[in-house]
Amino acid sequence: MEHELLKGLSPTEIEQVLALGNRMTVSSGASLFRLGDPADSLYLTVRGRIRLTLPMMVRGREEDILVEERSPGQTVGWSALVPPYRFTLSATAPLETEVIALPREALRVFCETSPAVGYKIGMNLAVVVGNRLQQVQAMWLREMQHIVELKSIYVEAAR
Amino acid sequence: MDMLLMGLCMSLIGIAVTALAFAAATHPKSPAATIQPQIPSVKPAAVPARFFSDRVASPLLPPPQVPIEVLLQQIENHVRLEQAAAESFVAFPTNAQLHSKTTSSFLN
Repeated sequence: MEHELLKGLSPTEIEQVLALGNRMTVSSGASLFRLGDPADSLYLTVRGRIRLTLPMMVRGREEDILVEERSPGQTVGWSALVPPYRFTLSATAPLETEVIALPREALRVFCETSPAVGYKIGMNLAVVVGNRLQQVQAMWLREMQHIVELKSIYVEAAR
Repeated sequence: MDMLLMGLCMSLIGIAVTALAFAAATHPKSPAATIQPQIPSVKPAAVPARFFSDRVASPLLPPPQVPIEVLLQQIENHVRLEQAAAESFVAFPTNAQLHSKTTSSFLN
């Protein structure tokens, strides 16, 4: 399976990076991390799924609302590589899920000793973050458009 | 024989009395005996004809409340649909992709 964060790396380099990590099994319904927790590790999804959620007030009750879902090969928790190193979402496993946790410090030391690999990982991370940003921009604009359309309907109905 | 004739006569008299009593009870009373005060007839006020009912549902009425589990499911489906639309836009950015109508039941 190809990990989006390790695209372009040789098999040996991939093995070296994966050797830095720890395989973890997150049981169904369990939390991987919560919003605001210190982000010390980045996660590569191996099996299962991870739900990324944000708290939203629904009828006066705080509910975790799905923002994104990550499947095998995708990266979760890039906040571990970006200051202030705090998770900005909550992550839970809707079914038994296997991830590889890459500690930030181990990854930093490895990338400093192998700058070429570090560059590739950095570029892959930029793609992950950039994609997320572009998707969120598109979703934001579409939601704004829905609000404008709904507001127009209400204004017309009130006349 | 005399006794039999006497019983027969008594029975006939009894039947006649019963018939008279029945007739008196069921006979309609004469109009003179039932003079009642005249009640003025009240006509209902004239109502202007309306094509539509007075009870027209306001378009601004809030929709009926659905159970919170259903609402949360609708929100999640909406997020998934909008995310798919956003991914399509990122893969092939055009104005049409951005402005395409949503089929989400959360908004429709």
